[in-house]
Amino acid sequence: MHGLVIGSLLGDALSFIGRNGQIPGQSGFPTLVYLTLNTLKIAAIGIGISLVLAIPLGVWLGHIHRGSFIAINLGNIWRSLPSLAVLAIGVAFLGIGLDNVELALIVLAVPPMITNSYVGIDGVDRDVVDAARGMGMTEGEIVARVELPLAIPLIFAGIRTSSLFVISTTTIAALTGYSGSLGDIINNETSYHLYGVLGAAICIAALALVVDFALAAIQRLITPKGLIVAADVAPTLELAPAVG
Amino acid sequence: MITLVAGPNIPNFGGAPSSFACERANRLFCTHWFTQNWGSVLWPALRQHVVLTLIAIAFGFAISTALALLAYRKRWLERPVVIVTSILYTIPSLALFEILEPVPGLGLSATTAEVALVSYTLLILFRNTLTGLREVPDEVRDAARGMGMSPTESLLRVELPLAVPAIIAGLRIATVTVISLATVASLIDNEGLGVPILNAISNDVFKTELISAGALAVLLALIADGLLVGLQRLLTPWARA
Amino acid sequence: MHRSHVYRALGAAVLTVALAACGSSSSSSSKSAPATTTAAAPAATTTTASTGPLPGVGKPPVTIGDKNFTEEYILGDLYTQALLAQGYKVTLKANIGTTEITYKALQSGQIDMYPEYDGTLLSAVGGYEKVPSSAAQTYTLTQAFVKKHGFELLNPTPFYDTDALAVTKQFATAHHLVTISDLKKLGHSLTLGAAPEFATRFNGLIGLKKLYGINPTFKPLAIGITYKAIDDGEVDTFDAFSTDAQLTTGKYILLTDPKHVFGYQYVTPVVKQSVVAAEGPAFTSTINKVSALLTLPAIQKMNAAVALDQQSPATVAAEFLKANGLVK
Repeated sequence: MHGLVIGSLLGDALSFIGRNGQIPGQSGFPTLVYLTLNTLKIAAIGIGISLVLAIPLGVWLGHIHRGSFIAINLGNIWRSLPSLAVLAIGVAFLGIGLDNVELALIVLAVPPMITNSYVGIDGVDRDVVDAARGMGMTEGEIVARVELPLAIPLIFAGIRTSSLFVISTTTIAALTGYSGSLGDIINNETSYHLYGVLGAAICIAALALVVDFALAAIQRLITPKGLIVAADVAPTLELAPAVG
Repeated sequence: MITLVAGPNIPNFGGAPSSFACERANRLFCTHWFTQNWGSVLWPALRQHVVLTLIAIAFGFAISTALALLAYRKRWLERPVVIVTSILYTIPSLALFEILEPVPGLGLSATTAEVALVSYTLLILFRNTLTGLREVPDEVRDAARGMGMSPTESLLRVELPLAVPAIIAGLRIATVTVISLATVASLIDNEGLGVPILNAISNDVFKTELISAGALAVLLALIADGLLVGLQRLLTPWARA
Repeated sequence: MHRSHVYRALGAAVLTVALAACGSSSSSSSKSAPATTTAAAPAATTTTASTGPLPGVGKPPVTIGDKNFTEEYILGDLYTQALLAQGYKVTLKANIGTTEITYKALQSGQIDMYPEYDGTLLSAVGGYEKVPSSAAQTYTLTQAFVKKHGFELLNPTPFYDTDALAVTKQFATAHHLVTISDLKKLGHSLTLGAAPEFATRFNGLIGLKKLYGINPTFKPLAIGITYKAIDDGEVDTFDAFSTDAQLTTGKYILLTDPKHVFGYQYVTPVVKQSVVAAEGPAFTSTINKVSALLTLPAIQKMNAAVALDQQSPATVAAEFLKANGLVK
């Protein structure tokens, strides 16, 4: 009996997705495609800005082997921040709107990227680095041609963790007054009904999977052939704490 | 319709209007509001949040440890458990709360929140406990067997203690995840720090309440994480350099 | 041996956690409104000096719910505390959600009663897509609807609280806005903010589009963030409640609704008929006594205390009931 209920709920959710998130008899609602792409856009902006801020900093600190306390503990603090609290405090200072959401996403995404970049670069075998220095490479060349390629798995693990985290946090932005993401559906069970909520949840899970696959593919592309180890590139969904 | 000849007696709520000047201006932090409402709003919310978290972690830990011990012995169990817990993990929390609510016996209560929160802990705790156990070096296991320990004794006295760092690492992630998600759970059970946070947003973004409740949530997570780190140091004296 | 100490410590930790969990799970069974403990426990003596035991003693427990905005919290607390003072065993499940979700909670038995606005109930739940011609007709139609489902409406309050479209004074002057039809000329560039479910309601966006021909861009917003949104320029107009405290500041004007899309909205507590029978006549008369006190000035002042002064609904409700002799 319960199986029937679950089955029909799932069926309704799939047909909800099939009709692009429209409510029967109503018009003028944003389509599921639009909301999904907009969620992706919001997440991409947050991840992009975080990348630019975090990776160079983590790489630099790792290269000079300084600041390990900050770099590693930042990662711990990140995991501790309840996202709704961060979003809410952001609303108190910045008001509602995209800026506040992006700020919260950046606050949440930057630390694991810094930590992983730091640990990845810092952990490169010192002998290899010394040998490169002995060969006459400049510091910049050492970073670009020796340390970075070796640190790619860890750096990418940090990027993938952050990305998944950012995508799921975007959905609770709807609770703090920002509309335009899949969170709108999840936050409006009254209009979309439970099957609509389930449909939106499926879309978010699918989005997370797609992004993770894409990042894994990029990782595979830029890792030098000699360094690829299959396990590093396998999709790993479990690293990111679930949010929203 | 009922009409009264003389209207009701409408008191001056809370006394003089000037005592609420800070709140009316929505300044960054109104100490007056904080002290007035600590006992009736913030402290109960914090207490409820702690209870929600403890129950979720306790049950999640028990279930995932049992599953991990089973999968430790029967390797084929790992795949299906990981798949199920992964699926639970990727469902956005508010969606899961809403999906669970109509289930008979759950409804708009803390139980619904707990069931959802527990399912978010399972993947991390299961994976970490299993990995921790698997990473015990074979030589150590053989040595324990060689000393005459039964598999159960070896598990309890050698393998599990050695797996403690991985287990606690999992507990740390699971705990702060639960603390974070429990704020969203307030939409279903009206308990926890999510209540003042969302209430403040719906009250014209009342800054004092937002910042107080938000800061409490952050502090709670940091303290819980710190306590678990301390617990790990306590349980692994051999790891202290 | 060292390892057995470790095992004992682990065991003790788990046991402590389990005991703490057991000890506290029993206390989470009675939910209360966002802030209740200080003022919400009137002296629940079981006898009064002259008139014998209180009417609520011995009656089955009752659960009251309320919806997800300020005025509902106040109403929920008012009814709960008044009934508690009469000896009834009342649990308050506050902040359940929207009209539709709260009504579902009533149907599924999670709550026995909640304060509802009859026009909203008729339209959003009853699916009634015509505009009733009067408040009395609204009440009659709604009463007929809920009676079919085993519920009944108690007496309506003196005050009404309808939805209304609000704009800032400047916006109104700039675009010569007096009534809702005046918004038609702004077309799709007009942004309208409201709670998400507003978009699918007849006494919401659907009715506005149908009866006034306006076609704004809809922005879902949480209730209560709407005033900040319009102040920040995020929306041009939004769905206000006519008894909102913020309206008393004079910064906003409400556009008139001559076609009555938003209908007639008096608070009419919805109760299960079986509960009315089981709790006895003093139950309904207490609730009706509270309702009778709620004039427009009374509810406006209470809304202001909660929404502007940020006092807790429970405290405000307690003060009001005390001032009117319904609570000691």
